[in-house]
Amino acid sequence: MKASRIIGAIATLLFVSACKDLIVPDYNNTSIDDLTSSPTPTKITQAAQGLLVGTRVGIGEQNGYVSLLGILGRESYNFDPADPRFITEMLIGPLDGGSPAFGGNLFAAPYRNIRNANLLLGAVDKVVGLSASQKSAVQGFAKTIQALDFLNVINTRDDLGAPLDVNIGPTDDPAPIVSKAAIFTAISTLLDDGLTALNAGGTAFPFALSPGFSSFATPAEFTKFNRALKARVEAYRGNYGAVLTALSGSFLDTNAPITLGAYHSYSTGSGDTPNALFDPTGRAILAHPSIVTDAEKKPDGTLDARALAKVTKLPDVHTVQGISTDLVFTIYNSNTAPIPIIRNEELILLRAEARYFTSDVAGALTDINLIRTTSGGLAPRGPFTSSADFVTELLKQRRYSLLFEGGHRWIDTRRFGLLSTLPKALPTHNIFSRFPFPEAECLARVPAPTQGCT
Amino acid sequence: MRMGCAVMALALLLGAVPAVAQTRTITGTVTDAGTGQPLEGARVSVRGTALSTTTGAGGRFTLGNVPDGNIVVSIRRIGSNFADLPLPAGQNELRAVLTRDPLRLSDVVVTGQATGVERRNLANAVATVSGEEVARVSAQTVEQALQGKVVGASIQANSGAPGGGMQMRMRGVTSINGSSEPLYVVDGVVVSNVAIPSNQNAVTKSTQGSNPSLTQDNQVNRIADLNPNDIENIEVLKGASASAIYGSRASNGVVIITTRRGRSGERQVNATQRIGFSKISNTLGSRTFNTLADAIAAWGPSAANFYQQGVTFDHERELAGRTPVSSESVVDVSGGDADTRYFASGLWKHDGGIIDNTGYGKQGVRANLDQDFGKRVNLSIQTDATKSLAQRGLTNNDNASVSFWMVFPFTPNFVDLRRKPDGSFPANPFVISNPLQTAALMKNDEKVLRSILSGRLTFNAIERQAYNLKFVVNGGADQFSQENSLLFPPELQFEPIDDGEPGTALLSNSNNVNLNLGTNGVFTFAPLSGVFTATTSVGVNGSSRDLRISRIVSRNLVGGLGIVGAGTDVRVLEQRQRVENFGLFAQEEFLTLSERLLLTAGINADRSSANSDTKKYFYYPKLSGSFRFPQPFSWMTEAKIRAAYGQSGNEPLFGQKFTPLSAIENIAGLPGLVVPVQGTVGSKNLHPERQREFEAGTDLALAGGRAGVELTFFQKNISDLLLQRTLAPSSGFGFENFNGGKLRTRGTEIGVNLVPIQSSESEWAFRTSFSSTRSKILELPVPTFSGLGFGTALGSFQFEEGASATQIVGNDSLPNGSVVVRKIGDANPDFVMSFVNNLRFRRLRLYGLLDWQHGSSIINLTKFLYDLGQNTADYADPITYGTLQTTKGANRLRLFPKQTAVYVEDGSFLKLRELTLSFEVPQTMVSRFGRGIRTADLSFSGRNLWTHTNYTGMDPEVSNFGNQPIGRNIDVAPFPPSRSYWFSVSLGF
Repeated sequence: MKASRIIGAIATLLFVSACKDLIVPDYNNTSIDDLTSSPTPTKITQAAQGLLVGTRVGIGEQNGYVSLLGILGRESYNFDPADPRFITEMLIGPLDGGSPAFGGNLFAAPYRNIRNANLLLGAVDKVVGLSASQKSAVQGFAKTIQALDFLNVINTRDDLGAPLDVNIGPTDDPAPIVSKAAIFTAISTLLDDGLTALNAGGTAFPFALSPGFSSFATPAEFTKFNRALKARVEAYRGNYGAVLTALSGSFLDTNAPITLGAYHSYSTGSGDTPNALFDPTGRAILAHPSIVTDAEKKPDGTLDARALAKVTKLPDVHTVQGISTDLVFTIYNSNTAPIPIIRNEELILLRAEARYFTSDVAGALTDINLIRTTSGGLAPRGPFTSSADFVTELLKQRRYSLLFEGGHRWIDTRRFGLLSTLPKALPTHNIFSRFPFPEAECLARVPAPTQGCT
Repeated sequence: MRMGCAVMALALLLGAVPAVAQTRTITGTVTDAGTGQPLEGARVSVRGTALSTTTGAGGRFTLGNVPDGNIVVSIRRIGSNFADLPLPAGQNELRAVLTRDPLRLSDVVVTGQATGVERRNLANAVATVSGEEVARVSAQTVEQALQGKVVGASIQANSGAPGGGMQMRMRGVTSINGSSEPLYVVDGVVVSNVAIPSNQNAVTKSTQGSNPSLTQDNQVNRIADLNPNDIENIEVLKGASASAIYGSRASNGVVIITTRRGRSGERQVNATQRIGFSKISNTLGSRTFNTLADAIAAWGPSAANFYQQGVTFDHERELAGRTPVSSESVVDVSGGDADTRYFASGLWKHDGGIIDNTGYGKQGVRANLDQDFGKRVNLSIQTDATKSLAQRGLTNNDNASVSFWMVFPFTPNFVDLRRKPDGSFPANPFVISNPLQTAALMKNDEKVLRSILSGRLTFNAIERQAYNLKFVVNGGADQFSQENSLLFPPELQFEPIDDGEPGTALLSNSNNVNLNLGTNGVFTFAPLSGVFTATTSVGVNGSSRDLRISRIVSRNLVGGLGIVGAGTDVRVLEQRQRVENFGLFAQEEFLTLSERLLLTAGINADRSSANSDTKKYFYYPKLSGSFRFPQPFSWMTEAKIRAAYGQSGNEPLFGQKFTPLSAIENIAGLPGLVVPVQGTVGSKNLHPERQREFEAGTDLALAGGRAGVELTFFQKNISDLLLQRTLAPSSGFGFENFNGGKLRTRGTEIGVNLVPIQSSESEWAFRTSFSSTRSKILELPVPTFSGLGFGTALGSFQFEEGASATQIVGNDSLPNGSVVVRKIGDANPDFVMSFVNNLRFRRLRLYGLLDWQHGSSIINLTKFLYDLGQNTADYADPITYGTLQTTKGANRLRLFPKQTAVYVEDGSFLKLRELTLSFEVPQTMVSRFGRGIRTADLSFSGRNLWTHTNYTGMDPEVSNFGNQPIGRNIDVAPFPPSRSYWFSVSLGF
């Protein structure tokens, strides 16, 4: 009878184990459902801070926004021996939507953060424990950052346009691609809505901002950042009256340091991101030799202070695939150096541009000379002889003032129709006006967009 | 579902029927026909009953409870032909003589979780490799020892790095995104074969470029920890038709490893000492610059500072030209009495590496114990503890110019990189690192401590003449800890340069625990009339796998100390995975018509925490039949036809069912919740892939068992593939994980065994195998998508409806000059063959194994890198292309954007995997070796001694991304291959 007892014990064991629950949670991540269906003030705080994490992605990488747009705008090179496509694709081309690190780059990251903002905006309505003004502050912040991400998208895709109504289910058919003008209108609206929300946002954000936003740490201060972006957007659209209006609400201040502004922060803390543009020996990232050769001289005969301060000579000439340079950047002097989003120097130049094109030529000259003297150490210049003369001067000042901070030279030469003035180191090189859509964006659409897909 | 699981559990209980009859006890001996030596370990059973025993010392056996009437006694033993001997009533003594069985038809092959059938009846083509075949030439890992020995399995190294990193794939493509690893079962316990990256990518930055895959760390899959010398037998179930009983983890095949056991009898001690060395077997070479002008054209004006006409350095051999001594000591002792049997072994192995600071060492001890408690209860316990240290160097893809073969393409051979007399190394003037310095000062150590404990309790609850009922409870724990400790001291040329932070120390600790517990009930019913034998088995098993990895990256090392606490820039990451499984199965084996017809039906029901619905059972049936014709023709000893059908699953990977929000990021210490990079959207209904396999074939034994042919055709249809739908990046997410699509793999396997010569003086055994598979994606509910690779311009795997699953696409030019992306190669070989010869003449034995792969395209990006550096050995060789006068390298570079095929090469090879010449020392001389020595063998052997290939990379066995379902055959700066040579002395005491 011992046998039957053992059999009985085994049967009981089976019976129990057959019905055991096998639920194992995700140990490594939180879940999206958790944020969207049961938000708490803490989760809202962290999701809001997450927008600053998300908008920084794809900016300071060696193949990020600053580096790739720098290559297209002939500000920088990348001689990374491990990947020749910094030259074969970015300089010779064509840009390939199928290469995620190059032609297909700078798209997924901003849209991911646009999703982050939409998740936050959806959750903040439901949260219990935040006041109406706190919710409004979160909304104003989220819309402003979302506008910045859309701007980064359209800056790279330009006349291809971009998907706009992306606040849909992640597996739904992708949002339709709308024109560049429609994206700019949407960005402008987002910024205006964001301003309204920030104005109703009370005295403090219910979350913290990174050190790069130390000048914009309250909803009221943050409106100045919002207006600064608005000024840039309106300048890109050619609405110069609106630029001047926006600037009046921004942090433009000719008495403040030209470095005053908003920055992406970097650190070496665990879980944080370092600035990968820091490359003091030029292992990969190098500066274009024309930065020195094109620089004006100061009255004392030395180079434009900006050229002197922003690049330095290496002991050897680096040569890859027939192109050479001996310059490296000194702009980002450590792997924790911040990267500017927008700062006072750009605002002054935006005002010069807007003033000139709203017939305040004298005001434009004042602003240009302010930058020439304070930033470049150059002599003030005389009146502009023509609008072409103004544009040449403006672009030159913008080039040196905003060097290697986010593709300004490429974007500026494009918006003034002057891409062809960019230098080509070799006859085989080409100048590109925009990135194609990533291959995955093309494949997800039936039919594929007529432009921007290969 | 609650009722369902309860019913299932109850269904496992079978009634026992009591019976009474007159019995007697029989005894006897079993000896070998050729030598007359007694045979231990032969299974003696009474036909038509479930009675059986095993011969012990002197080949003797005793069997009680035997019916009184005339009976037939069956005697079976591995390596011998079986014998059915009549024993009349009244005769209780039997003398059996067995002849040799080169085709191994009498081997019992595992078919259920607690049952098996003889190979002669088997309905599947199950490959079996004996321990003797495994251990002929010293191997670092079990898979290495199996290369070329399993028909239908492709076993390839990912690189030449010491300590493992090999992939075993059975019968072609079985999945696209799911696991591709077979299930490894050691002594009844599922053991872990995870491959945990070392985290070297923190330095190589391989994840920061075009492909963020963490698997570029040249990682080792952990089956490498087993000691090949401990293996008694390996059985390979190649697909669902054989492996259905293992349920939702069996789609990639099951490798069943049985370790050696003691037999009752005199104590036996065997000791083997091997000593040898390894030597690099292939290098790429580099361009020699004939003039300074050439050098300056390629390297810029600074070449003039280094160039000296006629002075060149072979950097590859300077780095990988070492031939350090390797040694391996193996000792085992076994024995026992009627109730207790033991086997214990020890291993001490150290293989020197061809590169400074590389190598592999493994030490292990094993103790296997069998204890009978009376006649009805048996307990087997296996314990295995190993410790290994693999020093892996720094190879594979990088984006930091530090991986050895990522540096050589950009370093001209006129630069002297060698250590200077003062002990320092010259800085590499062309790239930021000097591989000779890197190798000399860095470390990349992988230390593993592993213990596998398993036990099996057999309880023969009821034993009667016509039926018996036994219960088998087996369980085990496989636990290992892996420590990856890497140090890149500040003195390295690249260390201050790459990130401005001198010195990097990496420490990863991984802990894995696999637990298994199963119970089986086996009811065997064999009526005394002998009409049939029916074996009913039911079982239940539960298992869990828990893997926890914590990683620390520490930079800017204070004092250059190799501890992660010494850094100022410290990052910590942790990852945990846990999967729980629960399964039930039932199987019926029905052997009838004088053991000619075997019919088997079985079903497995499985549920898993990896599925979206963790309560739902998934069912995997199987059905098979075989029929054998003894002596159908005068020249044919036996023929068998067989067919089998089965289903199995491939469960989702941990985490695939979730839609996560990353919780590990911050900005300046402010925590930020964000959608992860390439974030996934899990399906609400994620479930295992389902494989339906049908195989049919025939096995023929000819010429008295001295020739055998096995022929098998199979077709696998895999549906509900675990797919990733690439979401539009504008959605903010990367992929949706879902089930869908269909894949088909078809193939042929042929095995031929011949024993042309068999006499007491000499013997020649020859075996050859052929296998070939083709896959086709029948249905793909997502647009064509890319697999591994670096973008289509550099060649990429691409999944496309109607195409081969292993196709490689790239840019190609149409006659009109326009560039299109289309198929330019296929990683799947046309066929694989192997040839084994085993020759014996008196005391000399010669054994050789040739492994031949025909076809299989490889994306040779290492060559692309050398071309970019204008440094390929043939770069400057003149070539006329059309009307263009150019050089080979320049031409490839010119063509590749339009014709990626210039870097996609044929990976066909013929390798001499193993070669052994051994000498059995005559008995008269053996005694002079020392007292107590029974046998002595001396041998010279080698592994991978010779390779013939047209592939221009280092080795056509290559995978930058490690083990992959699809996506091997991408060559990016791998660890070079080596040959190993051994001299061995084996003594038996």
